[in-house]
Amino acid sequence: MAERKINVKGETCPVPLVETRKAVRTAEPGDVLIIQGDHPPSKDEIPMAVDALGLELLGIEEDGKNWTIKIKIPAEV
Amino acid sequence: MKEETVYLDNSSSTKMDEEVLEAMKPYLFEKYAVASSEFGYSLGIKAKEGLEDARSTIADNIGANSEELIFTSCGTEASNLALKGVAEKLPEDKDHIITSKIEDFPVLKSAQRLEKEGYEVTFLEVDDEGFVDVDELEDAINERTGLVSIQHGNQEIGTIQDVEKISKICDQKDVLFHTDATHTFTKLPIDVSKTPIDLMTLSAHTIHGPKGIGALYVKDGTDIEKMMDGGFQENNRRAGVENIPGAVGFAKAVELVNEEENQRLKGMRDALIKKIQDKILDTTLNGPAKDRTPQNANITFHYVEGESITLHMDMRGFSVSTGSACFSKSLEASHVIMGIGGDHERAHGSVRFSFGRYNTMEDVDRTVKAISEVVKRLREISPLGKDK
Repeated sequence: MAERKINVKGETCPVPLVETRKAVRTAEPGDVLIIQGDHPPSKDEIPMAVDALGLELLGIEEDGKNWTIKIKIPAEV
Repeated sequence: MKEETVYLDNSSSTKMDEEVLEAMKPYLFEKYAVASSEFGYSLGIKAKEGLEDARSTIADNIGANSEELIFTSCGTEASNLALKGVAEKLPEDKDHIITSKIEDFPVLKSAQRLEKEGYEVTFLEVDDEGFVDVDELEDAINERTGLVSIQHGNQEIGTIQDVEKISKICDQKDVLFHTDATHTFTKLPIDVSKTPIDLMTLSAHTIHGPKGIGALYVKDGTDIEKMMDGGFQENNRRAGVENIPGAVGFAKAVELVNEEENQRLKGMRDALIKKIQDKILDTTLNGPAKDRTPQNANITFHYVEGESITLHMDMRGFSVSTGSACFSKSLEASHVIMGIGGDHERAHGSVRFSFGRYNTMEDVDRTVKAISEVVKRLREISPLGKDK
């Protein structure tokens, strides 16, 4: 079980989602992914993907224009 | 239980048929020698028989003679050989080539390369459905024109060009005619014994055959320079040890296609287009409603990006492709959608669905359901939205 940060600040659609998917593919069950970005549509798009992939959304935090999304990889994806 | 992936990118490549693999196996494990003449050893002679039987099967399918078919490593190589190989052999006063703006990259880039080398190249415009204006093409031919290359079916939007008419014009004007038939071979009838086509690109992996093998039909008497130096294979027109398992698999793939399958592809294509248009607002069908390759549907979903759609469809188990290429960060839009007069928004929101042997009507319904959900949700968050 590990925590992994993915920094996609300065990137626009679809790069934040692509990087998230890449991290999900290589993550182990139980891992937590922390995605940090600032592109507003990606903040809505990543939770949509989390839902489709059956992952657990731990939370979304916003700080000005920056946002952080925490995702947990379930036991079986 | 997770449902199986619905693969709708058969114009990029197809799943190889099991029967193709079975046909190839003897040439990988038993008759694996290099093809040899009657003066060589038995294993090589048997390999050569397999190669020539394959050549004959494919040639028969297009009404050609066996010796008019050159096996290549893929369709890309075949188109490169067609344009560059012919250009090199053209007389000095024949330095003009005509093609269209929406050709697939092998033809487009080869033509651009020849332009850099000093040939004059006319890139014809197409109309809003992707059709070349045959009269315009005829007018573009002059006394210096040596070669015309117009594809049979478009890779992205499925437009079927009138190659019969175009080839006859070229024939009358004594100009060589090449067509890239990668997306129509075995799907639409092509008979080079009746249609004056001089060169034609064919590929195996788009018809459930193996990757790594293609072919170029070269009409008897057409002068063509080989692109790679080496041995004397393929009648001294393409050097390199022949891919005999690939050629045998290619021939098997050709044998396995039938008209019933093509009608089935057309049925799925039409059902998908109609259901999407009925269910989702603000869509545009790219390419023609008629005269379209049986496997191809291409739709722009306005206010959303094609890449977002393909990513979200993938996460739901659907493989589709887009004409958008933001991944490269170049923001390069599809040259085909732009070529038919589309703007960047239309190009970036375009999604191609291409059907193959293993698709079913159930796939169509599942795809329509999934894409309706994806487009709806993406439009809710899209910065391109109508109201934003």
